[in-house]
Amino acid sequence: MMSRTLIIGYGNVDRADDGVALEVVNALRRRQGREALGEENTGMEELGAEVDSAFLSQLTPDLMEILCGYDRVVFVDAHVCEGFDDLHCEPVTPEYTPSIITHHLTPGMLLALIKALYQREIVGLIVSIRGHDFDFHRGLSRETGAHVQPAVAYILQWLNGGKAAAR
Amino acid sequence: MGARKITIEPVTRIEGHGRVTIHLNDQGEVENTFFHVDEFRGLEKFCEGRPYYEMTQITQRICGICPVSHHLAAAKACDAVARLDPPRPAKLLRELMHMGQVVQSHGMHFFHLAAPDLLLGFDADPVDRNVFGIIRANPALALKAVNLRRYGQQIIERLGGKRIHPNFTVPGGVNAALTQKDRQEIAAERETMVDIAKEAIGIIKGWIDANQAMVSTFATFPTGYMGLVDAEGALQLYDGEIRVKDEEGKFIAQFRPEHYLSHVAEHVEPWSFLKFPFYRKLGWPKGVYRVGSLARMNVIDKIGTPMANEEFKLFRQINDGKPVEGSLYYHYARLIETLYGLERIGQLLDDPDIMSKDIQTHAVETHVPSQGVGVIEAPRGTLFHDYSTDENGLLTRVNLIVATGNNNWAMHLAAGQVAKAYVDGNKLTEGMLNRVEAAIRCYDPCLSCSTHALGRMPLEVSLIAADGTLLDRVAR
Repeated sequence: MMSRTLIIGYGNVDRADDGVALEVVNALRRRQGREALGEENTGMEELGAEVDSAFLSQLTPDLMEILCGYDRVVFVDAHVCEGFDDLHCEPVTPEYTPSIITHHLTPGMLLALIKALYQREIVGLIVSIRGHDFDFHRGLSRETGAHVQPAVAYILQWLNGGKAAAR
Repeated sequence: MGARKITIEPVTRIEGHGRVTIHLNDQGEVENTFFHVDEFRGLEKFCEGRPYYEMTQITQRICGICPVSHHLAAAKACDAVARLDPPRPAKLLRELMHMGQVVQSHGMHFFHLAAPDLLLGFDADPVDRNVFGIIRANPALALKAVNLRRYGQQIIERLGGKRIHPNFTVPGGVNAALTQKDRQEIAAERETMVDIAKEAIGIIKGWIDANQAMVSTFATFPTGYMGLVDAEGALQLYDGEIRVKDEEGKFIAQFRPEHYLSHVAEHVEPWSFLKFPFYRKLGWPKGVYRVGSLARMNVIDKIGTPMANEEFKLFRQINDGKPVEGSLYYHYARLIETLYGLERIGQLLDDPDIMSKDIQTHAVETHVPSQGVGVIEAPRGTLFHDYSTDENGLLTRVNLIVATGNNNWAMHLAAGQVAKAYVDGNKLTEGMLNRVEAAIRCYDPCLSCSTHALGRMPLEVSLIAADGTLLDRVAR
């Protein structure tokens, strides 16, 4: 049976680097010969391919049922973590994180909820790029924008089963 | 040892980022508590210069959790700017979408955010006191919660084309009529959802009965109250006039939303970026009011759906007809509104106009500066959108007062009262601080959550001496 993957970028394009995931998702879609996502299309309207992609404002519990139809998921986000590389890629494991039971979920929490409620284990990867500017405007900082194409390359290699080195 | 400060940053299980600082005196007792939040003024400035009709999409990005509330408040403000009165079917469809939002938001808050404290206990091990604890303790209930949220979200998706940022309204109406298929499918599941809401009401009432002493004193304080009502004084979440009652439950005012600036003013404190709205004629701080489910139950005369109205009558008996002051009663009120939302969905689907294709009043080009106010009862409370435009329809001024802003002082009071009652700086426990957080969570606040980059959500509790020395630190 076909292995299915969903790439979920999330963030806010009105907050500068917080929208970096849209750039990554759209670069991937262009490589696939698919139309880029914009204001009117999150990508959730056209799921059903072997590799689907979407851009959302944040992760929500509604994704649980959708993700149950996939074997793998790639989360793309901005990060502000000290100690992370500017392009940080690592596997996501289902885990409860005590401080983060907010309305918006972390990737690990989302996978943990799916495992607990639906007994479904999904292979997860997070690809995150350091954000430098979160002010109210559109467009990426030069430093963040520089990591879009390397992130795309990493995801493509991971999708193809390559041994992309975790960063 | 000098005075010390405990900081809880951010408050867990609420939207976005918040900090609570608890200042201790030399004896380790709580001296003062402050609740600090970010605010939205940057977004208001960001909107200036853009066409007013873009606001229905832009403001949704304030929050990915309650985008429908901003979408609809913006739509109403845009109606006013364009001087268009939507046809009745369009208003019904907007309200139907709003009910979907209320059901999913209230349902999720209760089962995922409030229930861990209520069902597992404030002092339960944090490893268990969370949604996974609920799943382990009652997996069937957890799945019902998921279904309730899904039901509300699917109403939004059916009408708006997508769940997260629906594209549904236009100035003067909506852009799509309801299909017969969608009407039937929404109706088919409704009774099941009503049963879930009734089960949840049974849970909260049982919990209140079992914890009466604590519930009646936990974050309990007098304020005024604000909420929308219809012409008969009944609960309104989509449209109506704004009613204000004082701390005794006496009628203070009722006014059209566009007159809000004559009634609402904002107080500033140096320790918070978010302002503190108050009822202007009573002054500060006498005019502090609360919004949201508890406030709505305290200002209305009745509810226009039968089952929710029966619960409302019981709610009103809690304090012998006077306002119910305890913050934990927000949870009960939220579930009454969930039941109302589900009943109201039935009423809307049965309305002959709901299937009408007359869904939009078309604009006449005026090219004059304009102004418009849109007010809606978001799940968290009264939400104001106020726009001014130039003669080309470009925004020259945007003022947003969000529900969390309206409740800002109440959350500050709630955190302070609970900290004084439960926190002992000499033997700090996780359960003490969880109670402070729980007091704030009663208000289901939605802070500046328009960014949420990985790494922005650690919880840190620090105990700091007056000289700045870090005495204790809890990270989780």
